[in-house]
Amino acid sequence: MNGVRVGKRIIGADAPVTIGWENLPRVEGGPVKQFVFTWFQPAMLFALIAFWYYAPNSIAKFSTAIGIGIGVKILLLGLEWVNPRHESWRLTWKELATDLFFVSLGYTILRMADTYVGDTVIITSIQNFFQMEKFTWFTGLPLLVQAFLISFIFDFGQYWMHRGMHNWYPLWLTHAPHHYITQLNINKGAVGNPIELFLIGLGIGGFFDFLPRAFLLAGSLGLAVSIYQHINVRFNTPRWWRFVFNTTEHHSVHHSQDYEATRSNYSGTWIIIDRMFGTCVDGEAELLGMEGGRKMSIRENMTFPFSEGWKTLKAKFGRHEPAAVPAE
Amino acid sequence: MVPRFIDWIWHIRGSVALAPGQTSDEAFDKLEPLFNQVGTTHERAGDTLRFKKKDSAAQDKMSVFDGGVLQVERGPGGGVLRYHMISRALLACFLAPLLFLGFAQLAIFVNSYEAASAKAGAASEEKKKAEKEKAEVPMHPIDKFLGAPEPEKPEKDKADSEEEGAQEGKHSPTPACVFAGIFAALYVGGRILEDRLIKRLFRKRLYEGMVATSHSPMMPTTD
Repeated sequence: MNGVRVGKRIIGADAPVTIGWENLPRVEGGPVKQFVFTWFQPAMLFALIAFWYYAPNSIAKFSTAIGIGIGVKILLLGLEWVNPRHESWRLTWKELATDLFFVSLGYTILRMADTYVGDTVIITSIQNFFQMEKFTWFTGLPLLVQAFLISFIFDFGQYWMHRGMHNWYPLWLTHAPHHYITQLNINKGAVGNPIELFLIGLGIGGFFDFLPRAFLLAGSLGLAVSIYQHINVRFNTPRWWRFVFNTTEHHSVHHSQDYEATRSNYSGTWIIIDRMFGTCVDGEAELLGMEGGRKMSIRENMTFPFSEGWKTLKAKFGRHEPAAVPAE
Repeated sequence: MVPRFIDWIWHIRGSVALAPGQTSDEAFDKLEPLFNQVGTTHERAGDTLRFKKKDSAAQDKMSVFDGGVLQVERGPGGGVLRYHMISRALLACFLAPLLFLGFAQLAIFVNSYEAASAKAGAASEEKKKAEKEKAEVPMHPIDKFLGAPEPEKPEKDKADSEEEGAQEGKHSPTPACVFAGIFAALYVGGRILEDRLIKRLFRKRLYEGMVATSHSPMMPTTD
């Protein structure tokens, strides 16, 4: 395999990756299907922004956001069924059950643990130690500016954390299990080692003070943009959208079996951050995963950072037996 | 040995009638591609085929199973393929509700423990003070012009948070209970679905390339 030169790098030398928007397949079907799968993503984004902007205070609550989030996920699972990007990414019962297990950990035990060790706790203790106040002037900004700042600041942090995970071995150990997924489906974003889920959730947004409604608006960006990172649906994504926002195409390149391709498209929502730092690769891949697509069990997923870390330490610092010399 | 009245939870048994005149070798030859998958090992001995799977691929049609035995039996009505397969995924899904009910109990326990501690009381007072301070913010003129609702008054915020805090505590057991229910439903769905899918798969493979006649109806079943 020769690969394609993108900037200074050769992408697709180890495994197939399609480079360039003009080389990607488009939605097949009649004009109604074409229309729906071209405008679905922008329509959903603007509808959610309008909803959270104008919803009365009695409705604009986090419980409503959770309800909407579940509803959207069910709708997107339906779209995966109707218009899959790849047949080889079809959701099976076992895949669904596994994905939901990781989702449920995030909503239950990890959320509980996060209240004691999460970024809010860390930021509060830093503020208390330095006797710092929050930057309160942010709450005087227009709501949409506040929402953009929350989303962008968080994603900027996530970009560097994610990039760090791909470049520093101890962090990579926590992130590697997520790269063993071999297909993209709507709940695959939750599949990973719990330590990684904690690390990737760390942000500096807690140093600033924003209105609760601005958080809900920022959340709708997550729900209407970054959720498409892991989805098995073919969209005719508008050009402006894929220039600014992350897409399933970008993220499939990131999850490709090609090593060089995985070192691209690190952001969660704003792919423009990758464009700023020269790590964006426009294209898509179907063959995903590590070690040629080896499947990782839930048990291995949980223990991987420790078992692999131990193996590496042992190889580096352990006693090496001299190699046996055959008798003459 | 686990009694049969319990092991149906993760063991799937069934049978498919072979086509008239089909030998066990012919039947296993047709099923062979199902066992030539990544992470799958199998061995054939006469009328029996045993297989084992480890970390099978997501799209492997038998990925839900970890191992099993397929046996061809001869009877007066012709040959029958009987199968007995084991799925740890089904067992894990069956037990998952217990895990999440445990998490719900843990949330309730931690809530009551924290409510009793004087430290938690002091922390929540500080939090309330902070909430009171931050809510007193004027609305930006652009948002006023576009008609966004005004932020809630600080007093109301305080009353709401106090009420919610008193009722629920820091950790809500509700999500864990909801997921316990989801996994229970998922198990029931999966147990029925995977049972039907494997039977359909075996039937499809065994009768592949055969033409139906009036004497040999396509895809007969025994149970």
